[in-house]
Amino acid sequence: MAKSIQLKEEGNRRFQAGDYLQAEALYSQAIIADPTNPALYTNRAMARLKLSQWDNAIADCSECLRLSPNSMKAHYILSQAHLALRAHDDAVHHALRAHALCIGDEANANNGSAGKPSHQNSLATITAHVLRCKKERWDHLEKRRARETSELEAEVLELLARERERALREADESGLGEAGRQEVEDEWRAKADRLRDVFEKARPREDRKRRVPDWAIDDISFCVMVDPVVTKTGKSYERASIVEHLRRHPHDPLTREPLYISELRPNLDLKQACDEFLEENGWAADW
Amino acid sequence: MSAPFAAKRLGKELQKISNSLPPGIELVSADNFEEWLVDIRVLDDNPLYRNEIYRLRFRFSSTYPIEPPEVVFVKLPDRPIPIHPHIYSNGIICLDLLGHQGWSPVQNVESVCMSLQSMLTGNTKNERPPGDEEFVRGNRLRPRDIEFYYHDNDV
Repeated sequence: MAKSIQLKEEGNRRFQAGDYLQAEALYSQAIIADPTNPALYTNRAMARLKLSQWDNAIADCSECLRLSPNSMKAHYILSQAHLALRAHDDAVHHALRAHALCIGDEANANNGSAGKPSHQNSLATITAHVLRCKKERWDHLEKRRARETSELEAEVLELLARERERALREADESGLGEAGRQEVEDEWRAKADRLRDVFEKARPREDRKRRVPDWAIDDISFCVMVDPVVTKTGKSYERASIVEHLRRHPHDPLTREPLYISELRPNLDLKQACDEFLEENGWAADW
Repeated sequence: MSAPFAAKRLGKELQKISNSLPPGIELVSADNFEEWLVDIRVLDDNPLYRNEIYRLRFRFSSTYPIEPPEVVFVKLPDRPIPIHPHIYSNGIICLDLLGHQGWSPVQNVESVCMSLQSMLTGNTKNERPPGDEEFVRGNRLRPRDIEFYYHDNDV
């Protein structure tokens, strides 16, 4: 047990120094000495993230979650590894789990029970990470949509060309001569042009005006809100931002009246509106 | 760790104010997220400030906008320090909005500039704060570390 802690601390020192390979080896030895400490797995997963060993990092997080199902850190690392592997749905899922656990700790800390203060400071980081995951998922879907559309376009053009060949053969067989051939060619060229035109119009225009509505933006971080909370005055802010402010100055940003973190309430309808807005306008995650 | 939003938020403020700023406010430089320079002038005919342009220097810490920016007037050959009972002749501004207690994270560079504009517009006293000379000679503190006593908030 003591040996495991010692190895872990040596691993932490190597990690801090940027020697992730050595840190990973030390965490592995620590795990052999004590396979029941969930923190050892998340520490090794962090080192493995740095070494781009995504699958190994995921395996460590799974083991940690088996031992300690509510490990915020494990979900956060899982999300990062899934993001690197372009498993965007998993990345978003675990980012949101980490976010929920972060808030849970916040609530516990306020009730005076044992919340881990280290987690409170993670809220802003996790909130930014949630936005990043959503943005990357949207980019990915957007690219796929574009690819699928151009594949369909190519396929339909191919079909048109085949039809044209058939029509040309028919023209030849009925002895219409060069004039008949020309007529068929013109007709099918016009069809192909029109088709390309239709696809062109359906492509998303880059120059389309992209504007984020004010109701979706947190007035402190200027980001689209992930977890809006409402104050007594009826104004909503991103939870991570307002908590950061209230921790230092417990007063309402607009009215300066006393305001405590425990008085914040989630604004569920606004959250849903922001979610839906981001679903359709993923670019807004880092506008 | 500290809040990661300073750079992001400043990036967005910059994007916003590059497109449009209220009259009498002009961005001079914003090459990084640590220091910006802004010129302001008073819009009405107040004889104390007529035909003058003033240069403001904003300095941001990594905790902006949770903590206020440091805002001072800077003196250049064609940019004087405006005369005002709350502005010391070395450019340090005594305004509760810029102090830890008066600051609010919903304020921004634009709103601070507008507050300073109206602070000048509303002033009729052709004078410096009491003890200006002494303060300017003796002060070695940065503005944020000075405990101002906001004595006459009606000016």
